[in-house]
Amino acid sequence: MTINDSPSESTTTAPPDEHLGQSLKVASDHRHAVRMGRVRRTGLQLSVLMVFLAVWWLIARMELVNPLYLPSPGAVWDAFIQSNSCRAISETRTVCGEQNYYMWEHLIASLQRMAIGVGIAVILGPLAGFLMATVGWLNTALEPYLNFLRSLPPLGYIGLLIVWFGINDTSKNWLLFLAAFPPIVIATINGVRGVKQDSVHAALSMGANRWQVGTSVILPSALPEIIAGIRIATGFAWTCVVAAELNAGIPGIGGLAFTSGQQLQTALTIACIIVIGLAAVALDALIKYLGNVAVPWYGKA
Amino acid sequence: MSFSLEAVSQRYITDSGEVVHALADTTLTVEKGSFVCVVGPSGCGKTTLLKILAGFLKPTGGIAAVDGEPIQGPSWQRGVVFQHANLYPWLTVRKNVELGLKFRNVAAAERRKIAEDCLALVGLAGFEDKKTYELSGGMQQRTQIARVLANDPEIILMDEPFGALDALTRERLQMDLLKISRERRKTIFFITHSVEEAVFLGDRVLVMSARPGRVVLDEPVRISETYGRILPGKELRSTPEFVELRDKIADQIYESQGDAAR
Ligand SMILES: Nc1ncnc2c1ncn2[C@@H]1O[C@H](COP(=O)(O)OP(=O)(O)O)[C@@H](O)[C@H]1O
Ligand SMILES: [Mg+2]
Repeated sequence: MTINDSPSESTTTAPPDEHLGQSLKVASDHRHAVRMGRVRRTGLQLSVLMVFLAVWWLIARMELVNPLYLPSPGAVWDAFIQSNSCRAISETRTVCGEQNYYMWEHLIASLQRMAIGVGIAVILGPLAGFLMATVGWLNTALEPYLNFLRSLPPLGYIGLLIVWFGINDTSKNWLLFLAAFPPIVIATINGVRGVKQDSVHAALSMGANRWQVGTSVILPSALPEIIAGIRIATGFAWTCVVAAELNAGIPGIGGLAFTSGQQLQTALTIACIIVIGLAAVALDALIKYLGNVAVPWYGKA
Repeated sequence: MSFSLEAVSQRYITDSGEVVHALADTTLTVEKGSFVCVVGPSGCGKTTLLKILAGFLKPTGGIAAVDGEPIQGPSWQRGVVFQHANLYPWLTVRKNVELGLKFRNVAAAERRKIAEDCLALVGLAGFEDKKTYELSGGMQQRTQIARVLANDPEIILMDEPFGALDALTRERLQMDLLKISRERRKTIFFITHSVEEAVFLGDRVLVMSARPGRVVLDEPVRISETYGRILPGKELRSTPEFVELRDKIADQIYESQGDAAR
C-alpha cells in the first residue's frame, strides 16, 4: 500500500452484469413509480379544483346565491381580464384597469412595499441576530423586547405608525419591516447558536481570528436557518401588506381587494384574492429556490 | 516543539450542577518529533486532555505549556484532527484545505500549490474540486488531515481520527500517517481506543485509567529499533514484541477498569 494509490474507498465494487441490469431496472422502476406518484397526486389535486369550480359554477348558474355575493367563475375571470386592460365607457372616454391602475400595477405596488420593508429586514435582521447571538449582554438586554415585538400583531400598531409616518407608503414600509424583522433576528440567533463547536474550534486551530471565524464559519453555518427565517418573515409580511392597504392602499392589490369589495365589485374582489394567494405561493417558491441555490449543501452534510 | 503538562486536572460542572472530575492531576512531557498514542476506556478524559492541549479548554487545575510557554488559546501551530471530519460543506475540498493558509494571509498561488501537494500526499489528487459531502467518510477524513498538514503545524493533535472507518481504510490511513510523520518530523498526539492501533503507530503509548483519568502506564515502543528497520504493517503486527506489548497494555486497561477477567 502506498500513499499514491487512488483511495480504496472510492472504488465501488462493480456488480456482475445481471446484477447491474437488475439494479438499473430497480432504479428505473423506482423513477417510474415516483413519476406515476407525482402524476397521480397532481391529478388528484387538479380534480379537487375541477370539482370546486364545477360546484361554484353550478351554484352561480342556478342562481342559488345572489350573484352580488357569489359571482360565477366566468365573471371573476372577466373582472380579472378587465382589470388588466382598457375599455371604452363612452364614445370619447376609455378607462384602463381599476382605480386608475391595471391590476398588475396594483400587485407591483404591493410587492414594492414588500421589497423595501422586508428588504431592509433581510439586511438588518441577520446583523442584529448575529450581534445578539455573539454579544451575551446584548442578548440578555434585548431578547424580551424582541419577543414582545414579535408577539404583537402588526395590524395592532399600524394606527400608531400612521400617526407617526403618515397614511402613505412610509407607514406601510415600517409595518412590513417591523413584521419581518423579529422572525429573521430570531432565526439568525438560533442559527448562530446551533453552529457546531468543533467547526469553530477547527477554524481557531487553523489560525482564524474572531472576524474570520464569524465570516468564514458561523455565517455560512447559520445560513440555512437565516434563509428559513426570511421565508417565514416574507410570508408573514405578505399577509400584513394586504391588510395594511385597507388604509390608502391604492395602488396596491390589498387596497384593490378592499375597495372593490366596498363598491360591491365582488367578482373583482375574488379575482384579487386569488392573485394575492398566487403571489404568496410564488414568493415562497422564489425564496425556497434562492435558498437552495445559496445553500446547496443543506441536508447533505 | 515539545509540550508539557504540570499537574493538569479538569473538573466539569454539568448543566444539572453536578461536578464531574474528568481528569486527575496529570504530569507529562512530550518531546519534539515523538508520536505519542493515548488509549483508555471511553469517558476517561482523553478528549478533555486534547482540548486542553489544543487550547480549546483552560484546565481547572495545573498548567499546560508548549515550549515552556503556557497555552493561552488555540494556535495554528497546534493542528487538530477531529473524530468527525468537520469539513465546511460550503467549500470545495480544495478550499477546505486552503482555509488555514487563507486565514494566515498566504498568497493565493502558494495556497493552491500547497493544498494540491497535501491532497496528493493523502491520496486525494484529482478530488480538489469535489464537494465535501460527495466524498466517502474515509476521504473526508483524509481531507481533514490534508487541511491540517497544509498549515504545517509543528504539533498535530488527533482525536480517534480513524475510529469511524472500516478496517481497510483505517489501515491505509495508518500507513499514510506513519509515513507523513516520519517525513515531516511532526510531534503527534494521537488518541485512540484501539490498543492495536496505539502500538502500531506510536513510539510511546500512554494508558489512561477510567474517570477521573490518570496516566497509569507510559510505555516506549521500540519494535522498529529492535529489528533495525521499519517493518511493514502485517509483519510488525505478528512480531512477538508487538503481541507482548499489546497484551500488556490491554491488561493494564482492564485492570484499571477494575475488571480482572478478560
Ligand atoms: N462539557 C462537559 N461538561 C460536563 N461533562 C463533560 C464535558 N465534557 C466531557 N465531560 C465528561 O468528562 C468525562 C471525560 O470526557 P472525554 O474527555 O470526552 O472522554 P473520552 O474522550 O476519553 O471519551 C466524561 O465523563 C464526560 O461525560
Ligand atoms: Mg473522546
